Amino acid sequence: MIARVAWLLARPGSAGAAASVLPVVAFGVVTALLLTVAGGAQTFFTWTDDTSMLYQSLAVIALVLLVVPLVSLGGAAARLSARRRDDRLATLRLLGATPGVVRALAVIEAAAFALAGAVLGVLAYLVAVPLIGLIPFRGEPLGAAGVLLPWWVLVAAPIAVAALAAMSAVLGLRQVVISPLGVRTRQEAPRLHWIRVVAGVGVVAFAYALMSVIGVAQVALVLITMLAVAFGGTLAVLNLIGPWVIRLIASAQVRRAKTPARLLAARSVLESPKAAWRQVGGVAMTSFMAVFAGVGVGLLGAAAADGGNGDPESAMLLADVRTGILITVVGSFLMVACSVGVGQAAAILDRADLYRSLDMLGMPVATMEAARRRAVMSPLRVTAVGSAVIAAIVMLPLTGITLIVAPLSLAVIAGVLAAGIGIVWLGLVVTRPVLDRAAAG
Amino acid sequence: MSSFVIEAAGLTKSFGSAHALAGVDLQVRTGESLAIMGASGSGKTTLLHCLAGITRPDSGTVGFRSGIGLVPVTELGERERSRLRREAFGFVFQQGLLIPELTAVENVALALMLNGMPRATAEQHARGWLAALGLAGLEERRIGQLSGGQAQRVAIARAQVTGATVVFADEPTGALDSQTSADVMGALLHSTTGQGRTLVVVTHDPDVAARCSRVVVMRDGRIVGERQGARSVHPAAAARVEAQAAAAAAGSAGAAGTPEGPRA
Repeated sequence: MIARVAWLLARPGSAGAAASVLPVVAFGVVTALLLTVAGGAQTFFTWTDDTSMLYQSLAVIALVLLVVPLVSLGGAAARLSARRRDDRLATLRLLGATPGVVRALAVIEAAAFALAGAVLGVLAYLVAVPLIGLIPFRGEPLGAAGVLLPWWVLVAAPIAVAALAAMSAVLGLRQVVISPLGVRTRQEAPRLHWIRVVAGVGVVAFAYALMSVIGVAQVALVLITMLAVAFGGTLAVLNLIGPWVIRLIASAQVRRAKTPARLLAARSVLESPKAAWRQVGGVAMTSFMAVFAGVGVGLLGAAAADGGNGDPESAMLLADVRTGILITVVGSFLMVACSVGVGQAAAILDRADLYRSLDMLGMPVATMEAARRRAVMSPLRVTAVGSAVIAAIVMLPLTGITLIVAPLSLAVIAGVLAAGIGIVWLGLVVTRPVLDRAAAG
Repeated sequence: MSSFVIEAAGLTKSFGSAHALAGVDLQVRTGESLAIMGASGSGKTTLLHCLAGITRPDSGTVGFRSGIGLVPVTELGERERSRLRREAFGFVFQQGLLIPELTAVENVALALMLNGMPRATAEQHARGWLAALGLAGLEERRIGQLSGGQAQRVAIARAQVTGATVVFADEPTGALDSQTSADVMGALLHSTTGQGRTLVVVTHDPDVAARCSRVVVMRDGRIVGERQGARSVHPAAAARVEAQAAAAAAGSAGAAGTPEGPRA
């Protein structure tokens, strides 16, 4: 029965194409990124020399950074499915379908989107393999053959992504009430942050198992595990202070706001600083790490070049770490952009009646758009710049020295952060058609 | 000088194969309270949307007489109609449709800020309107912390704060109990026609229509009945008009196309 109704529901709805294309594209990007990093990591795990362990640890960190947003993306996609099928799901409930059946429908749809997106992601990865092969590590390109994953990984990846999406859809739907009168967000949304912990532990366990199979040394395993745990710990701390800082800044912005768009944006952030944080928090860790590592790398690189006695091997290592940082930062911003796009589409559909009424009142759609963008971009800027500044302060003496001896390496990191913010902005821009449709009614 | 603030002629509008408006002529007089009644699907909300420049009719014209002359609403572009709605019209919806994360005073002040008024001044005006509508002391509450009747008064303040010439209300009391409904309707009339402004209200509630100075009844996209001075008419008469309209809509042949109800 569920399968038949799911098929009926697969017809286009009133929310427009953007609402169905977005989750597919998002899952596609996420899958392609995961495979890219996994492909690179695969190369690292074939190395057996002194520095190979460092490369392997860094690859694990990058994978952790990418899997966490994947989990929240699944939840967001399921909420979007539930919202854009608002009237149909509510009607089904009215006709007597149990909440379980209706939820199953939303989960199936999210999983189907994830599967379709993941397959596209695999194709995108295959197209990109020659390019990925050009990325230089240890002074020479990785090579297309090196980064091409075995066929069974490419088959398993879409299935795994769809399964993850279905799992996080089940959890994400706990925030949504599908009643016979409509779909709406639960007032007291259950807290979901523990999922991140579970996901983190899961990833660590998976990586541990994987490496045991491959046969990495026991000492290396312990070190890598400790690194991942320390990493998760920092993430947890940032999760605690992030929403608090965002609330503080938003309430100051509410008082200062002079235009309708600024007032609306600040109020909507203040309405739920935790939700604002959930959307952009993934960037915090990345930009913290980017500055932290970037300063170190820049400094060491400069010292080595300055002394003129830097051995080529460590110079190469520093260059590689820098490459890795850039890839991870860009990837993490891409992930955030995907989840912002999907999350925003759901948020717009959730408030379609309100946007329609504001349009009737004569509020320009441009004002609504500006408010919506600001509500995402403002916490994002606070998060990205704030974490970067904290990292710079933590390493203050070193930052100062680096600024003098290796300004270029800091400039590159600043540029990448700026580009990342631009990518998220693009994620917002693509949801504009959803708003236009909602406002036009 | 004409005493009409809005003149509509020959309005038609179809959604797919359904004819929401099938040739409507209507003049709205300055300072009157006009109720548009009719069964569900009779086209009354579509008519309101056309009069207010929200929806463009398939054919026909709507003119709005402003201080600077006659504005051809149906010929304006999307942006200009949006501006007209913002500056000259006010709206009250059934569900209030206030912005939930803003406070009461911010919801009202927003209408002025959209017209470029500085926030401090806008909030000052907004406070004045909220107080006049009996909401003093509730300015800083968010919408979720207000009752349905209070929220609807905030919506009335928002519709009026810009000095709107015409206020359009779509089932403004539809979600309220009868006592609160009477209070809100009183507040709405007092703040519009009581100030020399014009009120156009879509309703299926005979009690609401009974308090307006003129009632038109719609059926199948046409105006099939009209009466004036309804305030002097016994509510039972208004109820009868509604019942007749409903019966006609339900398919009973009879008074089709003929005006109903007493004319003043």
